[in-house]
Amino acid sequence: MLMYILRRILLMVPTLIGMTLLLFCVVRFAPGLTTAGGAMAENSRQAQQAIEEKIKKRLHLDRPLIVQYFLWLNDTVHGNLGESIQYNAPVAQLIKERLPITLTLNLLSSIIVYLIAIPGGLLASIRRGKSFDIAWSFVTLALFSLPIIWVGDMLLAVFGNPNFLGWFPVGGAHATSTEWMTSGSYAGDFLWHMVLPVICLSYGQFAYLSKIQRAAMLDNLGLDYVRTARAKGLPPSVVTLRHVFRNSLLPMITLFAGLIPGLLGGSVVVEHIFSIKGMGDLVVTATSARDLPIVQAVALIGSIITLICLLITDICYALADPRVSYD
Amino acid sequence: MTNETRPSETRPSGSVGLAPHEDALLRRTYWAVVGRSYWRGHLNRIATFFILLIALLTIIVPFLANSSPYIAVIDGHREFPLFRNLTRVDWIWLLWGFLASFFALIFWRTGKRNIEIEPLRAQRLRWGLALAAVGILLSTGIVLFKNDYLDSRDYHQLARAGELHNAVFPPLRWGFSDQEPLDANRLYETPSREHFLGTDSNGRDALARLLWSTRIVLEIGLISEIIALTIGAIYGAFMGYFVGKIDILGMRFVEIVEAIPLLFLLITFVAIFGRQLFMIMVIIGVTGWTGIARFVRAEFLRIRQLDYVTAAKSLGLPLPNILFRHMLPNGLTPVIVTFTFGVAGNIVSESILSFLGIGVEPPTASWGAMLDQAGNPGEVFRWWLAFPPGLMIFLTVFAYNITGEGLRDAIDPRTNKTI
Repeated sequence: MLMYILRRILLMVPTLIGMTLLLFCVVRFAPGLTTAGGAMAENSRQAQQAIEEKIKKRLHLDRPLIVQYFLWLNDTVHGNLGESIQYNAPVAQLIKERLPITLTLNLLSSIIVYLIAIPGGLLASIRRGKSFDIAWSFVTLALFSLPIIWVGDMLLAVFGNPNFLGWFPVGGAHATSTEWMTSGSYAGDFLWHMVLPVICLSYGQFAYLSKIQRAAMLDNLGLDYVRTARAKGLPPSVVTLRHVFRNSLLPMITLFAGLIPGLLGGSVVVEHIFSIKGMGDLVVTATSARDLPIVQAVALIGSIITLICLLITDICYALADPRVSYD
Repeated sequence: MTNETRPSETRPSGSVGLAPHEDALLRRTYWAVVGRSYWRGHLNRIATFFILLIALLTIIVPFLANSSPYIAVIDGHREFPLFRNLTRVDWIWLLWGFLASFFALIFWRTGKRNIEIEPLRAQRLRWGLALAAVGILLSTGIVLFKNDYLDSRDYHQLARAGELHNAVFPPLRWGFSDQEPLDANRLYETPSREHFLGTDSNGRDALARLLWSTRIVLEIGLISEIIALTIGAIYGAFMGYFVGKIDILGMRFVEIVEAIPLLFLLITFVAIFGRQLFMIMVIIGVTGWTGIARFVRAEFLRIRQLDYVTAAKSLGLPLPNILFRHMLPNGLTPVIVTFTFGVAGNIVSESILSFLGIGVEPPTASWGAMLDQAGNPGEVFRWWLAFPPGLMIFLTVFAYNITGEGLRDAIDPRTNKTI
């Protein structure tokens, strides 16, 4: 098992190198590279030059191109992601502050997605061709098509706006004063703030997952072992729930890695709407200010998270399915 | 050409004892079969009509929502301000809209006649190529020789001052960038008889902007997807044809691009290359080709083992010829589905970028930008600016997704039976 994990990690190295090379090249050959952040009018000439110097030093522009890449990679591996032009602070520190909230948001959403998509797909496959099946596929497709920017605005306006229902807080991840709270009520407050953002992030993902779940159920229902189970005289509920359902869960594991890029992208929008100080919020403000170090670092972190999820998925799959060989 | 009673030499021997309508079924082209299966779904029909409606709006929106009158007598001269003020883009849309509907008419008419399939295909291909050539030629001419006319006159002002006689105005007397005068203080107005959907932060008519947005949506949706299709098809074709090292290396690159979350990649490119309309199209295009490449590769892996490819190879045809003239037309069928979903995805990407304030530059009208102007809904909620554009995004994206699902069911007989 350990060897399997090691092999998986080793296989990931070329992808990782290719990805860093891509992101390095994209930023390195950006037009107006050294004037990045120059859009800010209040910058004096001297400040401008200081920024230029900083970028030149960071990217080692006086060295050959290939050396530049390896020096950059070396810095990145050691946690030095450059310095933000906008905030005048190390990017690594900025991201470290904001990463946990984004990750929590994504994790909560993916749990919700699985909790709703799996029963939906299960029911749709049992009632195949009936009205529930058709309605469910229609509704999930409609949800998939609903623009997240609209739903976020509408949810906030209806449930958040104090002039209307005002059930949920209008933004942020915590109440304004958290000193008086016990750890329990602190967690409760946090979850209360997360309700609308998590709804926003998760509703669009039901369609694909429950479709796969339904297809997996239908595939399994046609197999021999189901006929055997039925021939033994097992009640239909036991056949579907204990035999077929458990086998149909296998492909759902692999979908987790595919879910994460979409959720990370969605969290950019959600954090913007609900003014949650996460990674997505950071990258949007950085883009408007052409703060390239932040943009590059966030893209890098996002891709690394995706790759880690891919790894976790592979390991879970190997654990769940004994047919996967470890060598 | 041929009439339907003519005994055909190419009729398959198995169809001798068939009734005429069954015979017609056998002679139908592949796309006619797919089209019939698609057209049977009610939802598919509604979605198609909606997409056509949006396309029609895109073409005729200058005649629907414009501040200049069709015709007016100013200082004793009869003038046609609206037609004079049409921009290059307006003319190009009109031209391509006319050519596309002309081609659709030919397609529809020839489809009804019971003629041989091969001549029919050749005829349609000839017409299509001829019309495309005419379109490209004329639109180049428009770009080269037509200058956009800058009209400094305010026709609302003229009409109020009584200097406009016999003027015929469009149904909506506002363009996408016409503002109420700043001193009138008519920003963020709720819907009224003058502005059916209210006004936005600059005193512009929201309904006019809603209609004009269809243009940017379609431009970005279609052109970006065509860019993505071109890249994906060529890339996938090479990978699928050369199995082995090229395939393995190529797929690693696809995986690398897919590992970077799409929105992050979009944002990175926008931060670097700016936000002109053309740039946004290219950016959305070059970030969205991986799915198409995977599809084309899978098809090519299947097709390359077929006999006609071996025949083409043994004839010594050049490689691009084999790849793009013989294999690609057969490998492109499943891509049509991806194309439809891709357009929907591009529309969403564009609206998200505009909503985040990093989309196409103002004053271009876009649904996402309108939603952004609705303000922070936690404090002040301007429903007349938030609800309609969101609904339009939803309906358009939904229509494209339904079309994609419908086409997939029609193309793939296996999934056809699952519902």
